[in-house]
Amino acid sequence: MAKPRIGIYGLTGCAGDQLAILNCEDELLDIVNAVDLRSFSMASSSNPEGEIDVAFVEGAVCQQRDLDELKEIRSRSKLLIAIGTCAVWGGVAAARNDIDREKLKEKVYGPSGSFLESLPVKPLGEHVKVDLAISGCPIEKEELINSVASLLRGDLPLLVSFPVCTSCKMHEYECLLVKRGQLCLGPITRAGCEARCPGLNRVCRGCRGPVDEPNAASEVALLKERGFDRRDIINALATFAAPAEKLAEQIVGKEPACQSAQDASQAEKE
Amino acid sequence: MTRKIQVNRVARVEGYGGIQVEIADGRVKDVKMNILEGARFLEGLVGGRRFDEVPDIICRICAICSAVHKLTAIQAMEDALGVQVSERTALLRELLVQGGNIESHALHIYCLALPDFAGVASVIELNSTHPDTVAEGLRIKKLGNQIQETVGGRAIHPENAVIGGFGRLPVADDIKRLRDGMAQGLDDVQALLPFVRGLEMPDYREGSSVYVALRNGDKDFSFYGDRIVCSDGAEYPLSGYKELTNEFVVPHSNAKHSRHNGKPFVVGALARLTLNGDRLGGAARRAIDALGLVLPTTNILYNNHAQVVELVWALERGRDICERLLEMGLEQEKPVEVKARAGVGTGAIEAPRGTLYHQYELDEEGRVVKADVVTPTAQNLSAFEHDMRAMVESNQGDDDATLRLKVEMVVRAYDPCISCSVH
Repeated sequence: MAKPRIGIYGLTGCAGDQLAILNCEDELLDIVNAVDLRSFSMASSSNPEGEIDVAFVEGAVCQQRDLDELKEIRSRSKLLIAIGTCAVWGGVAAARNDIDREKLKEKVYGPSGSFLESLPVKPLGEHVKVDLAISGCPIEKEELINSVASLLRGDLPLLVSFPVCTSCKMHEYECLLVKRGQLCLGPITRAGCEARCPGLNRVCRGCRGPVDEPNAASEVALLKERGFDRRDIINALATFAAPAEKLAEQIVGKEPACQSAQDASQAEKE
Repeated sequence: MTRKIQVNRVARVEGYGGIQVEIADGRVKDVKMNILEGARFLEGLVGGRRFDEVPDIICRICAICSAVHKLTAIQAMEDALGVQVSERTALLRELLVQGGNIESHALHIYCLALPDFAGVASVIELNSTHPDTVAEGLRIKKLGNQIQETVGGRAIHPENAVIGGFGRLPVADDIKRLRDGMAQGLDDVQALLPFVRGLEMPDYREGSSVYVALRNGDKDFSFYGDRIVCSDGAEYPLSGYKELTNEFVVPHSNAKHSRHNGKPFVVGALARLTLNGDRLGGAARRAIDALGLVLPTTNILYNNHAQVVELVWALERGRDICERLLEMGLEQEKPVEVKARAGVGTGAIEAPRGTLYHQYELDEEGRVVKADVVTPTAQNLSAFEHDMRAMVESNQGDDDATLRLKVEMVVRAYDPCISCSVH
C-alpha cells in the first residue's frame, strides 16, 4: 500500500500545534517514515505539495491570504484535519470579533497601518469542510499520535467527548469551582488534557474549546450565584472564543443584550 | 538589466514570511523581508481584561517562546502591582526560561539551521546523513521540553507560572531528574562543537554592527537584566525600552520595524555574547574556544555558533539552578497574594531570539488600559534587510539558486519567530 500523502500547514496562529508535532522527539522519525510528507514548511525546505490524502491545518483565518491558502489546501486534500483551538474554534485572536477590525488596526498600528488587511477571525469550519477537529491550545501529544495511528489504519480516531470536570474528578482534585469558589470552566470544556490546570491549582480557562452541547446556562447560573462579575464571566467564556457568541446569547437571553466586555462595562456605568 | 531573487515563503522558520531582492545594473536596488503572517492585534484584545488573565492570553503570541512571553508578562504585572516573589520562585522561573531556551536553541540549531550546511532539506534527511547528531539534538530538545513540563506544567503555553509564584511547585525528585538530564545534555552537546567549527560560513562584508542586550549587575551572564545596553554606548533602564526600539510601520510587513539612532540593530544570542560574553566561564567559555568563535563579528551567520555557546551555558546554568533548588528544598508555597491597583509595569527578559519587552497600564480595578509588546524578531527585521543586502552585494557573482540560499541562510541565522513579530 502506498504511504499516505500528508501536508502540515499553519495559518495565522502561534505555530504551537506544528511545534507539538515537532515535540514528539521520540516518535517523529517513525511517524515521518510511515507517511509521504508532501509539505511541512516549518521543518523542511522541500515541499512538493500536489494532491494529498490528509492535510493537518493549524491557525485561524485572520486575513484574505489565510482564506486563499485554506481553500487551495482544501481543493487538493482528501481529508482536512483542523489541529488546535484556533483552527477548531477561532482561539484567542477570535475573542473580540465584536470590535471593528479597522478600530483594532488603528489602535495597534496607528494611521500608517491602513495597508493591513484583516478579517474577523474565524475557525476553518466557517469557511471550508473540516473532516476532523483535534482541539487544544496546543493539541495534546497523545491525542495527536493516537489520531495519526488511527488514520494510518484507515479509521478516523475516537476523540474524548466528556468535559474536563469528569477528568478532574477521576484525578480526585479538589473542585475549584464549588469548593474554592473560583471561575473554572471545567464543566463545559472538552477534556483530553487530564485536567492539567486544576492539577496545578489553576482553573480551567477553556483552552480546548467546549464539549458537544455544553450546558453553559447552568455554568453561568452557578457563577452568577457565586457573585462573579458579569464582565469576567463573558470574558472567560470568550477567551478561546469557543462559540462565544452563542454562549453569550445564553447568558443574556433574559436580560438586555450585552455582547461584549466593553458594552458590559458601559451598561454598568449607566 | 534587472535581476530578481524571490522567496515566496521562507522554509524552516516559524511563521509566514517571504524575501524579495531586486538588483538593477549591478546595484542592489531593493531588499524586502515581507512579513505576511496575519495580525491578531493581541495587544488590543487584552484591553479591559483583569491583570491575572493577561499572561495566559498573551503567551499565545508564540508557542516556541511561550514560556518567556508568559514570564515577561508576569514580570510586567508584578512591576505594576508592586509584587515581590520568593528566591525559590525566582530560581524556578529562571529554570523555566532555560527550558524554553534549550528547546528553542536545539530546535533551531539541529532542525532548522544545520540542514543548510549539510546540504539537505530537513532534520529528517539530516538523520540519514548524521544520525548521531540528530539523536543528540532531539535528546537535548526533549530535555528543554521536560524542564518546561516539570516547572511550567506544559511544554507549550506553560500554565503553572502565575503572578506571585507557581500554581504547584515541582518536587525534589523531578528537579533531580532535570539535573541529571542537564549532565547528559552537556555530554550530548560536546559532539556538536567540532562539527559546527568545521562548517563553511558564507561571508559578506559590512553587516549590521549595532548589538543590544540586557545586562545584569557587574558580573553575571544572564537572560535577566537591570538595564538595556547597546554596543554604540547607549544604555537605558528597562522601562525606557521605547527609546531604543522606536517602532514604526513599513508597508511590506505586518510586523513593525525598529531602529536606534536611525540604524538597524541586532538582538539575540550573538548580541548577548558580543556584549556580555566576557562574563562567561566554565563549559560555555571552553565552547567559544572549541568553536573558534571570534567576536565581534558582523556576519550574522555566527549567530548559529552563538546559540551553540548559549546552549552549553543554559545546560550548565540549569544544572546549577537545580542544585541550588535542591539545597533550598521545595516546600510548597502559595503564590503571593496580589491586590489590584492602578499603575504601569514593564517586563524585559532575553528570549531565545533576543530581548522581549512587555508593558501594561492598569486601571484601579487592575484591568488593562494599554498593552505594548515588542518582540525580538520585530526588532531584528530592519537588520535582516541590511544583512541580506550586504550578502547580495558581496556575492553578486553567484547564480540565482546559490544567492537565494544565502539570503535565506541570513534570515534563518536570525532564527526568526514571525508569529511573535506580528502578534
